Amino acid sequence: MRRLVLALLMLATPASAQVAADTPNPFEGKADAVEAGHALFGKMNCVGCHAYDLTGGMGPDLTDNSWQYGGKPGEIFHTIAEGTPRGMPSWKDKMTPDEIWQVVSYIHSKHQ
Amino acid sequence: MRKILLTAALLCAAALPAISASAPAGSNKSFTGATANLAPGDPAGQWTRQARDYANTRYSPLTQINQKNVARLRVAWTFSDGQMYGHEGAPLVVGDTMYLVTPYPNIAYALDLSKTGAPIKWVFQPNPDPRAIGEACCDKVLRGWAYADGKLIYNLLDDHTVAVDAQTGKEVWRVLLDDVSKGPTLTQAAFVVGDKVYIGSSGGELGTNGWLQALDVKDGHTIWKAFTNGPDSGALIGPDFKPFYPWMKGKDLGVSTWPGEMWKQGASAPWGWVSYDPDLNEIYYGTSNPGPRTPSQRPGLNLWSSAVFARDAGSGAAKWAYQFTPHDEWDYDGVNENVLIEIPWKGARRKAMVHFNRNGFAYTIDRTNGEVLVAEPFGTQNWAKKIDLATGMPVVNDAAHPIVEKKVENICPPDIGVKNWNPSAFSPRTGLLYAGVFNSCMDLTNHIVQYIPGSPYDGMEMVRHAGPGGNWGEFIAWDPVAGKRIWSVKENLYVWSGAVVTGSDLVFYGTMDGWFRAVNARTGKVLWSQKLGSGITAAPMTFVGPDKRQYVAVYTGVGGGAGVLRRVGGYMPGGNTLYVFSVDGAGIGSGAGQLVSHSDVAAPVSVPPAAAHN
Repeated sequence: MRRLVLALLMLATPASAQVAADTPNPFEGKADAVEAGHALFGKMNCVGCHAYDLTGGMGPDLTDNSWQYGGKPGEIFHTIAEGTPRGMPSWKDKMTPDEIWQVVSYIHSKHQ
Repeated sequence: MRKILLTAALLCAAALPAISASAPAGSNKSFTGATANLAPGDPAGQWTRQARDYANTRYSPLTQINQKNVARLRVAWTFSDGQMYGHEGAPLVVGDTMYLVTPYPNIAYALDLSKTGAPIKWVFQPNPDPRAIGEACCDKVLRGWAYADGKLIYNLLDDHTVAVDAQTGKEVWRVLLDDVSKGPTLTQAAFVVGDKVYIGSSGGELGTNGWLQALDVKDGHTIWKAFTNGPDSGALIGPDFKPFYPWMKGKDLGVSTWPGEMWKQGASAPWGWVSYDPDLNEIYYGTSNPGPRTPSQRPGLNLWSSAVFARDAGSGAAKWAYQFTPHDEWDYDGVNENVLIEIPWKGARRKAMVHFNRNGFAYTIDRTNGEVLVAEPFGTQNWAKKIDLATGMPVVNDAAHPIVEKKVENICPPDIGVKNWNPSAFSPRTGLLYAGVFNSCMDLTNHIVQYIPGSPYDGMEMVRHAGPGGNWGEFIAWDPVAGKRIWSVKENLYVWSGAVVTGSDLVFYGTMDGWFRAVNARTGKVLWSQKLGSGITAAPMTFVGPDKRQYVAVYTGVGGGAGVLRRVGGYMPGGNTLYVFSVDGAGIGSGAGQLVSHSDVAAPVSVPPAAAHN
């Protein structure tokens, strides 16, 4: 029984949940990841809060170099995965870690 | 010389508003013969509900501040509430107390008007759930609050309604009305009639299932709840429901005019104003856009989105409805205020309502049956050729239909409308309405979207630009019987403030670039302007203090939906200061010498303003 509970707990804990702030983006420098992240940014409704040009609206501007929860790749990954107490939803159950990294790639592509 | 004079006269004519000849300035004649029932007939110096009366006229009979002395208005005192989101409500004055509520985190203040400088009498901090910040589409606002039965009643962004003892500031009751994690928020101004407070949900862009409900003023319990969409049973549509036009008649149209079960995420949230007719005992309110905003995903009329409902105030039973924009393709909504007036119409008098829709048409509707009497453009629009009065349907311009993944240029107005929720005012003296309006268009590209609970269900990508003339806004006087403008004052940005009109034929409004103005209600001549510390997106009001002096008050703090212009020149920093004006700035204890200071109550430490939004 205990083993079953443990197994269920492991299933319910996505691999993506814990990423250190200094973790590099595995897709760093890959243009196809930026493209994939762009598509996900629309598909997952990120555009509804952060706008099609990422300059914000309902949610913060992602182009202005002001990061409330940190602007390093690992920090952005963490914000997307876990959400924020101020209403950014958690996306770790809706996107795979690779997909979240691709969104990070897309956001960072607007800062070069 | 004559040529110079002529040129000068032409220049003056261009700078001055156009005036109808039907009611000369200086006369007391009504332009239209329209009147209003000003029930409940509060004392002239009080302001106990957002629009002052049930009819939503925002007319004050006060006359101390008049055409002659209005230019001497100066600041009497100010109050800063420390919160940085957009400010949209009007202060209430009941007896010697002024009541204010901030945007999120929805802190309530009572100010003692009987003492020098109007010190804080009490403060109430409800501490709403911060998750609501991420779910509110258009800033973290509150459009107003209500006073009734010795209580201050208002909505919290996190889907609670709360009642606070008006004397002590202690919570009397708090009820939870929806689940903020799924998208709905509460930003509406609670509206009280008798023992009921009417609350409408927000979340037109969040795939919510909009509702309006009546709560008991005593304890907050739900007396009735009417969903906008879905089966007739949930929408309280029964045998009493008699829409005027045939296309709105039938069973369960709130289901059958949507594909499958899409009505469940069809939004249609009643986040705007409620008005009340005490003779018919009916309330009137509008519903928001359908969700998602991409129309190709939801073929059908999408009833009862972008519509107005008349309901029995006691039972909630629907009496009639009218959908302004069937199958709304542009996010035009129907939530703007319905101002209840009586008009002369073909030799008789009709009980009417006036509604400035975002879609650019001003509707004068018979409020006993939902028949559209007048529907004329009040600003820049090109999406419809006209509203066909025989059917009540718009005749849509083919070039205005959005297309998925293709940019359609120059649709007027954009989603934000020719006028938004910012409430107009009606004067029974002039028979005219006064409204801040927008002049803009959009280039629109639509996208297919999926519903993910708690995230935007939207799909409109647009670039908004100023309309003809280049000015984004103006303030107009409107004849609701003829369906035409009487005068207008051009402004640089959208005029997103409410209006108040007085017994001295003065209209007050504010601009997003921070000007607070008094205008002659008959001519549109600007009589006084004062630059304030932030843009104005709230409604002004006027009251008489304990010193028997008339004051005019307005909140500054630009924000809310007006934030769509935040990158346009002239848009001001946010703010949170209430300005209170009187002739010469006089007030209790004003004049030479050190004033007695009152400092009994400390304000709460401000929540650190968000660097951006969330």
